[in-house]
Amino acid sequence: MFISRFRVNTARPGARRLLSSPQAMHAAVMSSFPHILPSDTPQPDAPRVLWRLDQRARAEVLLYIVSPDRPDLTHLVEQAGWPAVAGPENPGWQTRPYAPLLDRLTTGDRWAFRLTANPVHTIRRKEGEPRKLTAHLTPVHQMGWLLDEERQKRLGFRVCEKPADRRLLPEGTTHHKRPHPGDRYELAIRDTRSLSFDKSRDSGSRRDKPVTVVTVTFEGRLEVTDPDALRRTLTQGIGRARAYGCGLLTLSPLTQHAQKIP
Amino acid sequence: MSRTGVLVLRLAGPLQSWGASSRFTRRTTESAPTKSGVVGLLAAAAGIERGDDTRLAPLAALRFAVRIDQPGTRIRDFHTAHHGVTGASMPLSERFYLADAVFVAAVEGDHALLTGLRDALGTPVYPPYLGRRSCPPSEPVDLALHEDARLEDVLTSVPWQASAWYRRRHRIPQTLTVLRETAADEPAQATDVLRDQPVSFDAAHRRHALRTVVTAVVPIPIPAGGSPRDVHDPFAALDVLEDESA
Repeated sequence: MFISRFRVNTARPGARRLLSSPQAMHAAVMSSFPHILPSDTPQPDAPRVLWRLDQRARAEVLLYIVSPDRPDLTHLVEQAGWPAVAGPENPGWQTRPYAPLLDRLTTGDRWAFRLTANPVHTIRRKEGEPRKLTAHLTPVHQMGWLLDEERQKRLGFRVCEKPADRRLLPEGTTHHKRPHPGDRYELAIRDTRSLSFDKSRDSGSRRDKPVTVVTVTFEGRLEVTDPDALRRTLTQGIGRARAYGCGLLTLSPLTQHAQKIP
Repeated sequence: MSRTGVLVLRLAGPLQSWGASSRFTRRTTESAPTKSGVVGLLAAAAGIERGDDTRLAPLAALRFAVRIDQPGTRIRDFHTAHHGVTGASMPLSERFYLADAVFVAAVEGDHALLTGLRDALGTPVYPPYLGRRSCPPSEPVDLALHEDARLEDVLTSVPWQASAWYRRRHRIPQTLTVLRETAADEPAQATDVLRDQPVSFDAAHRRHALRTVVTAVVPIPIPAGGSPRDVHDPFAALDVLEDESA
């Protein structure tokens, strides 16, 4: 497995095209792997290509890719990078083996994490209606999706709880007696986006019904409960819409600085 | 002799309004929190009723100072209100506020009294507000309680509290202004007077005495929290492992 980081040059028209369409971005990421043909259907349990866009500042957008093979992002550099300054010490992107991290995950380790996901559930609005896939829209529900006990067990980690002295609600609930996960857990929602795009340009039947995906960026701290399951999570992703930049979980060490952030 | 302490408060909110001399329909604000406002905030948290001058007296006797960490902008509100029940027009008034200001206020006095007040701020009887009831603080106001410290030293060491956007947008100033009361043994020097020494908060006859204020500057302490921008770096996880194995 490999992890890669690519900084997008947001001033270029190619970058705008890619950033405005998750589909185009997915196609560009997938074409970084010469061995994978667009017609290939991946094995259900095989590691897959995951990607995520992190926007740190207005013009600082980073593309992270986790993949089974080493990617060649030359075409992305040409379309949406800085080809002129590419040199031996600055190749325009960085790729590093992911195995050293994956191999050394152990139960009880604590990490800072970031995850962009598509939290959904299926509901029936009235009796007799078929169940419908629906996005979670409020932060409490979105956090509840990730904090679900079954899900955390399956993913191989547990979101850490805050120490009592950093909580603002000593009772654990709001004054309406509703639980508030953001106060109880080391978990925050950084960004909620609603993507809407046409899936296919040529087939007329789908044209009037765009694809909509609600993406949520979670940030917080986790404790490893099942290293094998977490390895699978890190390489296969979480939840739906993995082709549209969702599901990639990344870890970062808990530093002194990170511990100060509430 | 009982031990002394210094209780430090961070006063920050979208709007603040600290009146010292305003009467009638023109409600002005000072450019920094007043002693009556801050003592009132502490008294409210401790549940001291408005007419209870006996319990107010020890609070009013605390030595007070305030540091201007982010001066804020003065804004004017032309206030046209109607009576909620009868619909009759209330008097037209002008109200002045400080927008986006951050202050560090400190009171020095008996350590046991200050411990009680700090605990009261955690579970206030009446919620704290920044000078006017319509100006809630944006964060818990309690910053720290220092034991056996002097007011001047504490305000030199508490980190600069200006908000992240302010630190980004403005060049970092070299010094911060501190407005403080003179110590008991200090010789009288160039001072201003302000009528904000609370005597009674009784709704029927609110009374304030004159108070001397010394304006001083302190060198800027290092900002709290380090870098304002949190950076999640997955590559750092790989670096950490390499350092460990090396």
